[in-house]
Amino acid sequence: MPHSIRRLASRRQLLFAAPAAVFLTIFAIYPLLQLMRMSVSDVTVSTLNDPWQYSGLENFQTDFASPAFGETVLNTVIFVTIVTLLGLAGGLGAAILLSKSGRWTGFILGLLVFIWALPPVVNGSVWKFLLGSSGLFNSIGLETGLTTQPIPFLFDDSIALYSVALVNAWAVIPFNALVFRASIMGISPEVFEAARMDGASRWEEIRHIIVPVVKPTTLVLLVLTVVYGFRSFDFIYVMTFGGPGVATTTLPFLGYIQAFVRFDFGLGAATAVIAVAMVIVLAVLYARSVRREEANS
Amino acid sequence: MNTAVNESVAKSGDSSRPSGIKARFKSPVATPLRFVLFLIYGIPMLWIVLTSLKSPSDVISSQSSFVFIPTLDAYSEALSNSGLYTALQQSLVIATGTVVLTLLLAIPAGYGLARVDSRITTVGLGMLIVLQMLPQTSNVIPLYQIFGQWNLLNTNAGVIIADTAMLVPFGVLLMRPFFRAVPVALEEAAKLDGAGTFRTFFSIMMPIARNGIATTGTLIFLLAWGEFLYAVNFFLTPNNYPLSALLAQQVSAFGIDWPGLMALAVITSIPIMVLFAFTYRLLREGLTLGAVK
Amino acid sequence: MTNHSSPRRRSAALAAAAFATGALVIAGCTPDNGDASDAASGSSDSGTQTITVWHYFSDDNQVKVMDDYKDLFEANNEGATVENVFVPYDQLNSRLITGASTETGPDVVVFNGADASTLALGDVLAPIDDYWADFADAGQFPESVVHSLDGSAYAVQGYVNLLGLWYNADILAEVGVEPPTSIDELNSALDKVVAAGYSGITLSGLPNSQGEWQGYPWMSAFGFNYDDPQVQPLTDAFSMIQNWTDSGALTAEAVTWDQTVPFQTFAAGNVAFAENGNWQMGTAAATADFEYGVVPLPVGETGQVYLGGEGEGIGAFSQNPDLAWKYLSETYFSTEGQLIAADVVGSIPARADAAQDDAVTSNALLDAFATSIDSNGANYPSPAIAPESVADQQLEVGQVWSSVIGGQLTPDAAAEQVVTALAGLK
Repeated sequence: MPHSIRRLASRRQLLFAAPAAVFLTIFAIYPLLQLMRMSVSDVTVSTLNDPWQYSGLENFQTDFASPAFGETVLNTVIFVTIVTLLGLAGGLGAAILLSKSGRWTGFILGLLVFIWALPPVVNGSVWKFLLGSSGLFNSIGLETGLTTQPIPFLFDDSIALYSVALVNAWAVIPFNALVFRASIMGISPEVFEAARMDGASRWEEIRHIIVPVVKPTTLVLLVLTVVYGFRSFDFIYVMTFGGPGVATTTLPFLGYIQAFVRFDFGLGAATAVIAVAMVIVLAVLYARSVRREEANS
Repeated sequence: MNTAVNESVAKSGDSSRPSGIKARFKSPVATPLRFVLFLIYGIPMLWIVLTSLKSPSDVISSQSSFVFIPTLDAYSEALSNSGLYTALQQSLVIATGTVVLTLLLAIPAGYGLARVDSRITTVGLGMLIVLQMLPQTSNVIPLYQIFGQWNLLNTNAGVIIADTAMLVPFGVLLMRPFFRAVPVALEEAAKLDGAGTFRTFFSIMMPIARNGIATTGTLIFLLAWGEFLYAVNFFLTPNNYPLSALLAQQVSAFGIDWPGLMALAVITSIPIMVLFAFTYRLLREGLTLGAVK
Repeated sequence: MTNHSSPRRRSAALAAAAFATGALVIAGCTPDNGDASDAASGSSDSGTQTITVWHYFSDDNQVKVMDDYKDLFEANNEGATVENVFVPYDQLNSRLITGASTETGPDVVVFNGADASTLALGDVLAPIDDYWADFADAGQFPESVVHSLDGSAYAVQGYVNLLGLWYNADILAEVGVEPPTSIDELNSALDKVVAAGYSGITLSGLPNSQGEWQGYPWMSAFGFNYDDPQVQPLTDAFSMIQNWTDSGALTAEAVTWDQTVPFQTFAAGNVAFAENGNWQMGTAAATADFEYGVVPLPVGETGQVYLGGEGEGIGAFSQNPDLAWKYLSETYFSTEGQLIAADVVGSIPARADAAQDDAVTSNALLDAFATSIDSNGANYPSPAIAPESVADQQLEVGQVWSSVIGGQLTPDAAAEQVVTALAGLK
């Protein structure tokens, strides 16, 4: 195919993105600009409805100067890492396990969808109970003699963050599993048949057939899961409220508290912008790898 | 890497013989692992169902035991709430509307960004990720002002637009790899046959990507079904609240009605399970159908 | 191909149906599709007189009070309608503030009294000075329930909520202690119940305003106050709390508890004491199958117990503030209305005459709380904190309170952190 024709077609296909672009400009870019403007303004509850006073980088300086801010950023990185790694690995694993059609598969998939459709206040409360001192897990541990004391899953500062991150990963796995599964289902059965005739083991099938096929999907899910981790605060809100102390406070939770508990909208916006900036690094990497992929094909 | 994708999909294009699926992965490891997966998600679900059957005084005292006198009080109370049916209808309308509007925008955009080979793609994708990052709470105030001017407050249309604005970036990012997986050669062949860009899109790309469309649509439906922040903020009268806002109502500063919350959670997920049962069949058919003929 | 065409046609039909639904939806068929400003602020232009009341109550008893008030007002005022609108607690303030940006809002707002200055700063509430000055019964209300900002009154509380020390009489009888009247008695009682294998006390250690509200009585018991914050009394108070967590009298799990779960835990029967509020009377009656009672928190002479509760004010964008005031004066601020709330949810009437009514004084539980108001009642939030710093102060102190219970900070470090944080407030 001559290069020029490809290019011409490409241009025309850009039109397909136009409706979404127009829509998002009005209903998503405008709020984004407002957020950025807010982050460099002095906006509190008493000045929200007046013209905003430009305050330069003051909000950002307030964040950076706060003693707990470093810990918050570190918490965020740990939290996002756990949610992303477990969320992706668990999602892919679940998708592979459930790629075979059948009654069991349908049932477990239904279970995953059920859980994923429940709001965080329900799922978070359930885990708060299950992980509590007299909850199921600690009761089993004590009954079976595995532990002699209840494990302080949610109220020990060295464990709580991991507990909350695990529950968040648990909550995101169903989503990743559904998407991975859809992508695995796109593989023709003949490919597997051929592989089996060649005597490929199941691990070889996963490594040589499934993993390459789901690679583009993995890239997207990686981005979506990282973004989810970077903006998710409802589980923290329900399970620990950022505590004990500030041990489970992450950037999105901090931003929420600043804007809607302390009603310092400017400061909350600055925290949100910092979180966005951390993700932009990732966005650039993603877009780059997409370009490379484009160039290769 | 992409050659593998292309080959496999292209092969599926030639296939019309559904076989070999049942036999896949009969491995001694798979069954125990599947059971573990079942436990990880089954235990919390069991806990939800058990709690919904308890009386409020049993919730704390029998946290980890199965010994209690079950009662259907929470269910009969939830079902006797006349607002439940309006809320159910609202949830259906909002979620369906959001799915339709989001797919209308996201499918072509996902296709466009999958096929266009330019710097705009890079910028567009980066922008979508940034939009995806915006905290929902920070969108409330600007959207409230827009909707106020356009008389969209307290209407389903307003909430649907807000939900769509939140979900389009997600939908586009998700749809794109499904279109990427379709070999360009297939499209070019169609063009050589004289099909225009739009006809190629509708008659070749859409059918092949329907697995992705069904999955994305399902996920968007679920997300819109559970969304409650916009609903609570943009509906001015509680008569318009969807189910998700009713759920939020179970938690107050003065007490949490655990059985009521869990019973309502079970009730609200029944329509979700119906939808799932339906798309699950679609997805299975989608597979055996092969791609294009 | 024949076997393929049928499902495909089915999905095509489905898609068509979905599009049709979508079109319908966009065309707009919202169940209650009144004009936005009508819905938010009750139109008063034509004969109908509707006032909209926003509240965050979802508990059955509290909803009943709202319904009773509606009936009461509608019976007294022909042609007037009251529309009670529930907004989830977490969303109420931000919704009011968002609404103010488009100059819409309810006629009457019932909100957490501690947020009065935030809402007044956010231009959500209208000043009620003129109404209050003309209100014949204003003298019945103590100063502490009137919320003012910069010399203007914005809201009044029809009743107060406060914390008391709930006790499980069965456990106390078994270990042979009387309900405590001092910190020392409480500590020795805790030692005895723990030795007998029970839990000592439940309270909230959440790192937010709830934690501060629950922690302040204990801090002030050792002489701490916000006018002149000192390290030593805080160190003493925090040491006592960590003694409790060390001995097992108090579980560190309290840091994940709001005020609901600790009371439910107390009501389940294995705990001797609960630091909790008068609003739990309904829960206690419904779930506790043991003898229980309430004494004032034994926080001594210096101890302060916040007087919380909901503030009631008039929305800044009400179309009919006169009618809104009439509603408030005939329900929340009337003797009759306050006795309804006392009877149904166990709240303590703010009016002196209502508080002395038989219905209140003959109730032993209510009486204990009323005694506490006299001996230890304190304005909430503390007047020593500037209105714009209240949210910061509650959050910072709440976080330290949580760290003390969770054991992350030593009493000394925690006390230092509180004093430093308070010095840094605007």
